[in-house]
Amino acid sequence: LHNVFKSDFLFKFLVIGNAGTGKSCLLHQFIEKKFKDDSNHTIGVEFGSKIINVGGKYVKLQIWDTAGQERFRSVTRSYYRGAAGALLVYDITSRETYNALTNWLTDARMLASQNIVIILCGNKKDLDADREVTFLEASRFAQENELMFLETSALTGENVEEAFVQCARKILNKIESGELDPERMGSGIQYGDAALRQLRSPRRTQAPNAQECGC
Amino acid sequence: MALRSAQGDGHTSSRWDGGAGKTDFDAKRKKKVAEIHQALNSDPTDVAALRRLAISEGGLLTDEIRRKVWPKLLNVNSSEPPPVPEQNLRQMSKDYQQVLLDVRRSLRRFPPGCLPCSSASLPAPRPPTGMPEEQREGLQEELIDIILLVLERNPQLHYYQGYHDIVVTFLLVVGKRLATSLVEKLSTHHVRDFMDPTMDNTKHILNYLMPIIDQVNPELHDFMQSAEVGTIFALSWLITWFGHVLSDFRHVVRLYDFFLACHPLMPIYFAAVIVLYREQEVLDCDCDMASVHHLLSQIPQDLPYETLISRAGDLFVQFPPSELARKAAAHQQAEKTAASTFKDFELVSAQQRPDMVLRQRFRGLLRPEDRTKDVLTKPRTNRFVKLAVMGLTVALGAAALAVVKSALEWAPKFQLQLFP
Repeated sequence: LHNVFKSDFLFKFLVIGNAGTGKSCLLHQFIEKKFKDDSNHTIGVEFGSKIINVGGKYVKLQIWDTAGQERFRSVTRSYYRGAAGALLVYDITSRETYNALTNWLTDARMLASQNIVIILCGNKKDLDADREVTFLEASRFAQENELMFLETSALTGENVEEAFVQCARKILNKIESGELDPERMGSGIQYGDAALRQLRSPRRTQAPNAQECGC
Repeated sequence: MALRSAQGDGHTSSRWDGGAGKTDFDAKRKKKVAEIHQALNSDPTDVAALRRLAISEGGLLTDEIRRKVWPKLLNVNSSEPPPVPEQNLRQMSKDYQQVLLDVRRSLRRFPPGCLPCSSASLPAPRPPTGMPEEQREGLQEELIDIILLVLERNPQLHYYQGYHDIVVTFLLVVGKRLATSLVEKLSTHHVRDFMDPTMDNTKHILNYLMPIIDQVNPELHDFMQSAEVGTIFALSWLITWFGHVLSDFRHVVRLYDFFLACHPLMPIYFAAVIVLYREQEVLDCDCDMASVHHLLSQIPQDLPYETLISRAGDLFVQFPPSELARKAAAHQQAEKTAASTFKDFELVSAQQRPDMVLRQRFRGLLRPEDRTKDVLTKPRTNRFVKLAVMGLTVALGAAALAVVKSALEWAPKFQLQLFP
């Protein structure tokens, strides 16, 4: 968390998808570089953050990991607001979790920022023998819905970092091309402190002191 | 049923001797055990005394005692045969897949050396590193059976992720047979609101959190409001009675002693007490939602439970739900329509049915000028007063008795119909 002062940008991310698809395990693997083998269900929302380097820029990801059970949606929805990116997760060994993608997608597009960048993650890639959803089918779905797509394994770590990085890179590209404006309210993007110092200096040059709450 | 002290007797007790000498502590403990047995053996059972003893320092001490006292606290006749399923629930239940998914990944809830009485027939050399896999799998099967049976018998109840965290606690302490009856009672009373089709009532109960914090520490309250942290960090605490977040099973059962003896809203007071206890950490944190949410949702494992329990009791006595109901409603005003706010008032009222005074306050609530006043005037001082321990347990025990006796017939849904 302290490294926030070195980052150029801060992106708000969501991890969404049905229960048991491995959302928390993906987040844990991304942050800790380990598989959490005693991971249990998420209640409400959990939070993690990490700074990554994307093409020379330091981006702090602020990631909200949501509960998958339908009844928690009324709670987790309020965390969608202003998300810049999302991992939409299904389990390649469960068609049911794949079939639910449209619902999750509708929620994300409706409630997060308009320009939210979403990467579809077919998780549990390591369980290929039990596969119920083919790569081809899911990549077609991704294409039709303008999503990026990767198959991931929170167990082995395959494509986990890539999923977060690719999503962040696309957001950065959109900022550079002017398609996304970080200054716009609800973009889910903020300038990190490094960028702030250059851009609009005196406002926040000293480290934000927790005692002095300026918000 | 063979009874065996499951675990933790010595450890639990070492936490409540407060540095006193070992002899002193042994004497205290012995005295408490005697008091509990006396209350159990009196005819009729002295449930009021059992409540006081479950609340007071150290709680019910051992799982062997819990097996006898928890049924009394829930008014369950432990000699009655438990309900049995009429059909193959695993094929019938719409919740089976979700329950299976959650139970399978609940490994952390089966701590090393924790052997419930139902498994007492197994030769059980207590392993130092964890519950034997075979035994854990057996218990997981039992856990699924209990959950599906209770859901099947009570179609108005809806499974939520976290429910199994409550059920497993009962399973580990009292075994499958008794757990089924206790959990069924609990599910139709104390945790009833969490099992609605939607989470509206759960969210409503969470709305009590900030007003409690505001009463005691307005500065902390304002900081949290500025951070817009909300109350979702406490959701898992509330709906699992902390079973989901505390890693030490002894702490979980100690809290269950307390909650079973108290008003159904006590867990939210306890949540507030934890936040208040961490005041400095919160104020030292960046004032934004992510930082504060992250800090608070990571619950420290070394909390001084006995102190916090007694503080939660103090708060409950000083700021009873009736008082908070008004504030909780006021908190919601901005975002709610008149109609749904009125529904909240109804609910609040339903939750306090036993106390006629509360009814009168409820009527006062409906006067709009009162509500406005409530929003505008806010206590600026720390109003928390530490009550003497004896005073507290007596007051709370009595309050709990009065309230919970009726709370056992507590059914918000039914009550709502009184105010169409």
